[in-house]
Amino acid sequence: MDLMEQAQETFVTESLDLLIAMEEGLNQLESEPDNEELINSVFRAAHTIKGSAGLFGLDDIVAFTHKVENVLDRVRDGDIAITPPLIAILLECRDHTEALIEDMGGEATDPALLEQSGQLLERLQGVAGGPGGASPAAGAEAAASSPSTWEASVDRQESPPVENDNWHISLKFHPDVFRNGMDPLSFLRYLATLGEIVRVATSLDAMPEAEAMDPESCYLGMEVAFKSDADKQTIMEVFDFIAEDSEVAVLPPYSKLSEYAELIEKLKAQDDSYRIGDLLLQCGALTQPELDKALSYQQAHRSDPEPQPLGEVLVEQRAVHPETVKAALGKQKQIKEVKLKESKSIRVDAGRLDQLINLVGELVIAGAGTNLKAQQLGDADLQESVSLISRLVEEIRDRSLRLRMVQVGDTFNRFNRVVRDVSRELGKSIRLVIEGSETELDKSVVEKIGDPLTHLVRNAIDHGIESAEARRAAGKPEQGMVKLDAYHDSGSIVIEVSDDGGGIDADKVLAKARANGLVPADAQLSRPEILRLILKAGLSTKEAVSNLSGRGVGMDVVTKNVEALRGDIEVESELGRGTSIKVRLPLTLSIIDGFLVGVGSAGYVIPLDSVVECIEHQDVDKVRAHGGRYINLRDEVLPYLNLRELFGERGASTVGRENIVVVRSGNQKAGLVVDELMGEYQTVIKPLSRIFSRLSGISGSTILGSGEVAMILDVSALIKEAEQKTLQLG
Amino acid sequence: MANKTIMVIDDAASIRQVVSMTLKGAGYDVIEACDGKDALGKLDGQKLNLIITDVNMPNMDGITFIKEAKQLPRYKFTPIMVLTTESQDEKKRAGQAAGAKAWVVKPFQPPQLLAAVSKLVLP
Repeated sequence: MDLMEQAQETFVTESLDLLIAMEEGLNQLESEPDNEELINSVFRAAHTIKGSAGLFGLDDIVAFTHKVENVLDRVRDGDIAITPPLIAILLECRDHTEALIEDMGGEATDPALLEQSGQLLERLQGVAGGPGGASPAAGAEAAASSPSTWEASVDRQESPPVENDNWHISLKFHPDVFRNGMDPLSFLRYLATLGEIVRVATSLDAMPEAEAMDPESCYLGMEVAFKSDADKQTIMEVFDFIAEDSEVAVLPPYSKLSEYAELIEKLKAQDDSYRIGDLLLQCGALTQPELDKALSYQQAHRSDPEPQPLGEVLVEQRAVHPETVKAALGKQKQIKEVKLKESKSIRVDAGRLDQLINLVGELVIAGAGTNLKAQQLGDADLQESVSLISRLVEEIRDRSLRLRMVQVGDTFNRFNRVVRDVSRELGKSIRLVIEGSETELDKSVVEKIGDPLTHLVRNAIDHGIESAEARRAAGKPEQGMVKLDAYHDSGSIVIEVSDDGGGIDADKVLAKARANGLVPADAQLSRPEILRLILKAGLSTKEAVSNLSGRGVGMDVVTKNVEALRGDIEVESELGRGTSIKVRLPLTLSIIDGFLVGVGSAGYVIPLDSVVECIEHQDVDKVRAHGGRYINLRDEVLPYLNLRELFGERGASTVGRENIVVVRSGNQKAGLVVDELMGEYQTVIKPLSRIFSRLSGISGSTILGSGEVAMILDVSALIKEAEQKTLQLG
Repeated sequence: MANKTIMVIDDAASIRQVVSMTLKGAGYDVIEACDGKDALGKLDGQKLNLIITDVNMPNMDGITFIKEAKQLPRYKFTPIMVLTTESQDEKKRAGQAAGAKAWVVKPFQPPQLLAAVSKLVLP
């Protein structure tokens, strides 16, 4: 590959990254249209792509991005205001750029794409207005739009205006000041030694009616204008004796503000001194007692639905000026950005990682073999060193699997766009809430989960969320909510798509399923079982979509995709309240912790996550109702399967007694009868070839330390089998 | 004799790659940096014969970088070439005022770039 080809490859990856950043930036601009950094990053994406494309002579990309860049440049200069239509067309331009980049393999650009370029640019010009022709009103509107929250709260509290270069000291004495033997005037006299008291205004607001007045209580308040070169700390110290229970606020003169801002700007980022309070302390704008007071206030109001940020508390307590807080916030952001950059990542070819993981898998198998040999030999020293090696191998396994883990956040963020587009298409107003975006998931799972998730999200918007009128009638907020959440739950990852829409009408689903012959007319189904029916193929008919509260189109495809990942879907729904679909996925696809059991002469591996408990066969009461087979486990009725019968295992049992392993998949349980329990086993999954794809109950195979092959059981299929068997017999 | 060393600053990895490959092909050693700030961090006393920088970059733009670099005694006289898509005179003047010796507008052809480089790198 020659130089240019190599560089062109870099250009593609780089541009796709930039386009992702551009999309994120545009989406975010919708909520914060005044964020200059966002505008810059969007501009830079277009700019860099244009620049690099020029290098490779990709003139069509250059021509297109150049126009987009021009518009963004004018946005940056404030000529054009950011409006939702502008963002929408810019998003389209972004997509088109991606299409152009993907198309560049061939000799010439696809004429259809070129035509689209022209059309898009025309529309872009239409929205953005001719050069310099942006309406000034729109610009002014954008500039005047909502100030950030803490600024707003400052306006409300009417701090006395500081019009000159004096410190402003505001004192409200505690009623007990006289009783404690202190004279308010003495503080002023002492204050005068530090500088010049320009003006004192005494406030008597707290003074009660004459008969209610206690001559021994102090009702005084003072507003002092004070000229001094002393720093805040020194001035605060004057009031040390009364600071405990009186209200003392010292606000710096305006000239100090720029000084603070400068000091903050110059602060070196120390380990974790990027907390806002520390920044203010370091530059002297804030004193330790003031900070402590604000922190304890924050602590006390911890449970508030929307806790106040520290900066806001400080401004409200009149410890610092809003300008100073703003400077510190800016610095804080800067430090954080530096931190982010420090944790830079390395791009590694996915194939190399897969090779590594494969090798680790082989290492695990070889390790198990060595372990077995060591045990047979019975040499204590050897066993000890082998166990050390196994521990290390285990750690290497975990670490190398973690290399493939990526945060699910990037995938989730893409849905901002899906929600935006689909809700616009349907004319619904919908908010996407993203949680758990730092949860990590195997890269290969992340890649495959995108489509099913898109489907679930679209379904939630299309069928889940009701129309605005229906929502109003139901007393819900007009704006619907779709939530994406990811979290760990007992060894698997759960991705949850939920909405606050109309929910699923279980009766209608059941009626439909009966009509379609999916369930026998007389079958009694529990609510979860009915809800699971929406995952079935037979329900995804056009009619079902319009008659039911929707859901059904392609849900079977979603189920199939998830099952291919060894995952599972749970449906929860409450009529009128909303629906939640939980996709439960294994942490990784290649190596799992297994539980090895023996049946006859063969070994089987049950994924450890799904094992609930093991019991002896004799210990349980068997209920043989209608010839069906159940066990009574502490008053819970469980269906069970005898693996020996199921797999036609003829070898004799190696142990006298059989055991039952209770397994779980989603919220269903079943018992599996096995001969021998052989304990935990690190299992490297070897996929079965397609010849075996018809075999139900087996999801893969593995190689044991002894070199023998063991089958990995597909627990959810086995549970279904057990249930069906009992149903048939019943 | 040691090779001449050139620092290449650009936020676009593909441009960096092409420029540095071109330079390496011509026998120069190359140090890469992805923006002005990164570049300042990498100026640690080594001998540089030339710095090639982009203008519009995150964190620190090229013009600011030139001004900062000119403050460092070690790099006060290191020639700096600007390689950018910007061609407005205003920007060029700003670059010249900051201390840039040459202004090459992207897209460039490798031979052109090498010609410009060889004029600036002192024997």
